[in-house]
Parts: sequence; C-alpha cells; structure tokens
Amino acid sequence: MCAVANKESNSIKAMVTVCLVGMPNAGKTTLMNSLTGSNFHTANYPGVTVSLSKGKSKASFGEQINIIDLPGVNSPFSPSQEEELSCQVLTGKHDQVRPDAFVLVVDASQIERHLKFASFAARQGKPFVIALTMQDLLERVGQSLDTEKLSQALKIPVIPIDPRTGEGAANLIAALHKIISEPLRTNSLESLSEEPIAAYNIIRKLLDEHKVITKTNPQLIRQQDSLTARIDEYVLHKFWGFPIFFIVLTLLFASIFWVAQPFMDGIDSGFKWLSDETLELLGDSVFVKFLAEGVIQGVGAVAVFFPQIVILFFLMTLLEDSGYLARGATLVDRPLALLGLHGRSFVPMLSGFACAIPAVMATRAIPSKKERLLTIWILPLMSCSARLPVYALLLAALFPAESSWKAGIVLTGIYFASLFLSSLIAGLVSRLIYRRRSLSMLAMELPAYRIPQWKPIAYLTWSRSGTYLKKAGGPIIVISAILWLLANFGLGSQQPTISPSNSTNKPGLVVKSELDNSFAAQIGKTLEPILLPMGVDWRVGVGLISAFAAREVFVSTMAIVFHVPGEDEEAQQQGLLEQMRSATISANGKPVFTTASVIGLVIYFFFSLQCLSTFAVVRRETNSWSIALVQLLFYTVLGYLLAVSTVQGLRATGIA
Amino acid sequence: MKLVDLPNNEWHAIKQLDGPEEDCRRLLDLGLTPGEEVAIVQIAPLGDPLVVSIRGTRIALRRREASWICVQ
Repeated sequence: MCAVANKESNSIKAMVTVCLVGMPNAGKTTLMNSLTGSNFHTANYPGVTVSLSKGKSKASFGEQINIIDLPGVNSPFSPSQEEELSCQVLTGKHDQVRPDAFVLVVDASQIERHLKFASFAARQGKPFVIALTMQDLLERVGQSLDTEKLSQALKIPVIPIDPRTGEGAANLIAALHKIISEPLRTNSLESLSEEPIAAYNIIRKLLDEHKVITKTNPQLIRQQDSLTARIDEYVLHKFWGFPIFFIVLTLLFASIFWVAQPFMDGIDSGFKWLSDETLELLGDSVFVKFLAEGVIQGVGAVAVFFPQIVILFFLMTLLEDSGYLARGATLVDRPLALLGLHGRSFVPMLSGFACAIPAVMATRAIPSKKERLLTIWILPLMSCSARLPVYALLLAALFPAESSWKAGIVLTGIYFASLFLSSLIAGLVSRLIYRRRSLSMLAMELPAYRIPQWKPIAYLTWSRSGTYLKKAGGPIIVISAILWLLANFGLGSQQPTISPSNSTNKPGLVVKSELDNSFAAQIGKTLEPILLPMGVDWRVGVGLISAFAAREVFVSTMAIVFHVPGEDEEAQQQGLLEQMRSATISANGKPVFTTASVIGLVIYFFFSLQCLSTFAVVRRETNSWSIALVQLLFYTVLGYLLAVSTVQGLRATGIA
Repeated sequence: MKLVDLPNNEWHAIKQLDGPEEDCRRLLDLGLTPGEEVAIVQIAPLGDPLVVSIRGTRIALRRREASWICVQ
C-alpha cells in the first residue's frame, strides 16, 4: 500500500504507486476502470473509515503500476470526511497512502474550475500528469479543446482519455513512468496563487494566450449545456419536480422488493438445504449442529439480503451517474434543512430503507459533522428490509387471511410513519442539542446529465455491495453463533440431547425440548416481568433477544419456540399462526398474541434498534462507543416504553 | 444589486461576495469569482435552494448562500 520505490534501492525495484485525484464527477471511476480493467478492489486503511479503490494497471499497458482512486474534492477548505482524506494524501500528511505521483483527472467541459483544483495539487510538489476526460461533453457546450496547446500552456503532460472507450490509458501509464523517472522542473500551475480570484484570472489568461479553447457554436453563450438545462426544467419544475421525484423513488423501492424477491427466496431455501444436508451427512454431534444451525444459518441471514443490497446500490449508482441523485438532494434540501439535516442526508436515508448498514457508511459525504451525526442518529428508524418479514408475520396474526388487504394498508402506513417520525425525532434532537438552526452550506454542483456507463456502474455496485458484506457479515455471523450457543446450552443440561425425532425437523436456532433449560430461556424468563406489561411472555422474549442478530431471525425463532413442525413453508406459516393464536401466558392464562400485544410488538420493532450490526457500524463510523451505546439504548427503551403504553392504553379502552 | 432579487435567467457579472469569510471562500473555489457572469437558472419547488449557472456548470445554492452574491 505504501510507496517504497526508493531511488537508492534500484536493485529491488518496487512497483510504483499513483493516486487518482480530482473534483467530483470528473470521471475518475471510469478512468480507474480503463486503467485496471476492473481488476481492482476496495481497500480499507486503518484509522480512516473511508474505503479506497486500489488496483494494478493492466499488464498490456507496460510496466505495471499500483493505482489508488481517491474521493473527489470540491474544495480543500472545510472539507467533508471524504474530501479530508484526499487532501491529506495530496499534502503528504497521510502516513499510509504515500504515492510516487498523482493523476489529476480534469473534466474538459469544466476546465477552469478543475484546473483551479489542480493548482492546489500542483503546489504540493509531487510529480503529476493530467488526464483529460469528458471531451464528449465539450460539444454540448459549444467548444473544442486542443490538448497539445493545453499541455504547452500548463507545461504539464496532458493525456486525453476517451470517456467511452477509455482509450488513452496506455499513454497515461507511459507518461506516469516518464514523470516519475524525470520529474518536471517547473509548471504553470504550481506558482498559482492560493487566493481563488487571482488563480482563476491566471488560468483564464493561460488558456486565452495559448488559444486552448475554440468556440464551435457562437450562438451558444456562457457555455450553457442546453440538454441539461432542458431536463432540469422538468426535474426541478415547480409542479412536476416532486411528482417525478416520487415516481423515481417508487420505482426504486418497487424494484428493491419485487426484483429481489425470487433471489431472496432462492438463497433462503439454498441455505436451509445446506444446513439440512450438513446435519444429515455429518450426524448429530453438538459441533455439527452448531455448524449447521449457528454458522450456516448465520451466513444465510446475511446472504438473504444481498440481492436487495445489490439492486439498491445498482440503481443508486445508476441515478448518481446519470446526474439525477444530485437533483433529488436539491429537491429535499429545504425540508431536510428545517429538521437540522442536509440535502446530502437524502441518499443515506434512501439506503436506510434497504439496510441501515450501507446507509450509515453513506453519510461520509455529508460535509458538516453535526448533520452527519444527526443523519446517523435517525437512520435506524428507516424501515429496513429486515423488518419486513417480522411485520408480515405480526400483521398476518392481526388480520385474518380474508382481509389481508388491511395488512397491506397498515404496512404502507408503517413506511410513511417511519419517514414522518424520523423527521420528528431529527427536528427534536436538533432543537434540543444544537439549539440554533444549522448554518451549513449546500453549494452542490449539479453535474451534466449523461448516459450512464455500464462498466463503472457494475464495478461500483459490486464494490459497494462487497463492503456491505464485509462490514455487516462478520458481526451478524458472530452474533448468530453466540445466540445459538445461548439457545442450546443451559445450566441444566451442559450438552443438548438430540432425540432422533428432532433431527427431521427444520433446523433453526433452537429445538424446543432443550429450550426450556437454555441460557436464552433463562434470560427470557428473567426478563418476563418487563415483558408482561407488553402483553407477551418469555418465549417472545427469546425471539426479541435473538432478533438482535438480525430482525428477521425473530420469525424463525417464533417458529421454534411455538414448536411448529412442518415440511413446507406455507403449512409452517399457517401452523405457526394457529399456534400463536392459541398460545397462552402460563403466569395468568391469558393469550399471548392479542390485538393489543401484536400492535405493541409492531411498535416495538418500529422503534427498537434490534440490530447489533448497525450498532457495530455506527461505533466504527462515529469512532465513539458512547454515541453508539446511547443510540442503542435510546431506541430500544423508546420502543419498549411506547409498546407498553400502547398495550396498556388499548387494554384500558377495552381492546385486549 | 443582489442576485437573489433578480428574475431567472438574467445574467450579470459578479461584483463581490458579501458573507462569512470561510463560506465565501468555498464559493470562490467553486468558481463564483468577481467578474464572472452568473444567473439564477432554476428555483426548487419549495423556493429554496436555487440553481445558479456559472462557468458552464450549475450549482445548487441555498437562498442564504445565494444572497451573498452581489452583482453589477
């Protein structure tokens, strides 16, 4: 990862490292793709939460080079966390990423602004070359650019990169080798003033003197991109802006749930089969049971959400690359700012409806720390997809099958309520803690609309989904393994005895015969006094505890604690509902699942932070145990208190 | 004259930025420098933010930020 190409140690010539830097939307990812041929991965550096893409240049481009893609920078002044990292690397203050040279990625259609940023990089004294991208956009703004003249004006090698084919990548690698072996003595950018007004004036003078840019369309004034202007007229239209926005979001959510469903079912039954087969082939030893039910099903719990995550990231990257996401953030900036959030909170909140983990990671692009923390604070309220199976079960218990449409309406209500209540909490917290309204800036560039490019989108989707698997996967698997141990071991029986009849059951977290004596049951029974006000008994408590691995584990735990044997899923679901309806609390003989207690459970799951992986990610992203702990306790206690008061309130009005 | 008081698509050269120093510095870095022609090209449905066009790009600014821009 570090550059160790010492000029002295020529005997062992280490591979040189270069970093790609530039402003956002400069086309760095596309360039990364052409340089490495998709042969790159996300690398995490200790001490920084921002993950970077790292790869090797294609062998066909000559001697190979390590390439690191740094996050885009708008301005080195008051940067966001992502921008800060890039600036640290540029100024040589980062102790792990120390490149031998930089590639400054410059958007040809935004040349003045991008050269202004390049001058900041040039002042740092490291060798660099300029990669010129987006020349296809020049035509739209009625210009053409002479690369040779630009290179002469700047006294820096300029390598044009074809934005569609990536042609020019080989030249770029050759130029990098050359610049590292013979660094430039001087260039026109390094002497530029730090003061922006003077810097911009000199850049324009350089471009004019060397006749770098020619106008091809004299009718087009002020380099306005007419296509982008026309699309924005609809997308940000007074009346049409929000309807278009809601249609885009509806399509996004619909595909997350509908397109992903068959894949999720396939993965779910695949892991169940694997777990069954493991038990069958390897026998019923404790270790095999642990492997089949604790580990394999734990991996399954992570994998089952993977299709949704991939689809979410794919569509979001698509919207981002086309330019729409920045417009979406512009539309909602006003309402979000009133709540103490930021237009850039929009993307994390959107991701939160699939899973809070990638959502928390996506908050890094929010420039102000306050707004970033506030966004992280409300993300657990977004109705993530792990809640869906839980709501499905509880609503099925609430409404008889013939009026299942009512369940659909309630579910829609739950989604809107999660948006509404998270806004309310954000507003309250920002008033209480920050007092004054935030005075942060938006100042966000709206990039030109472009036809998305598939290769970089596919890569970004893959790397973002992979980061989710890495960050969320570990904790979920470990927690589900621990929960399996808790549910299968107890003080009464050190080793679970497995009767032959049980081995034909569907494997799950626990098998009922041992459950009564397990640690999980003991914890559940100890907690019973605080569960009874919610109208439920210790068996539901076991479900609530295991749901900390991932919320949907509640469903499989319910199936086990209420002991439902069954071969196919539908019969099991029906059997489970019947069992749940007839279950009674042993302490007072009342039924467990009443209208009141089911509503209470829905409310509990709505608020409670039943997800230790979210806790782990929040701790890592905020670098603070106390924020993560306070958040965990706040939502879980809030969920509990609201559930209890709802149940007691309903009972007081005669609804059992 | 303030940019925010002008109708959409009316182009004027920037005279100066009149706001908190550090925030204005960010706007200058983005290319909103004195002498450059700027115009409001779009207003978001809720009246805020505004989209301004400068140096061939579009930048979304909150009304508060845009109100710092004085034009000739």
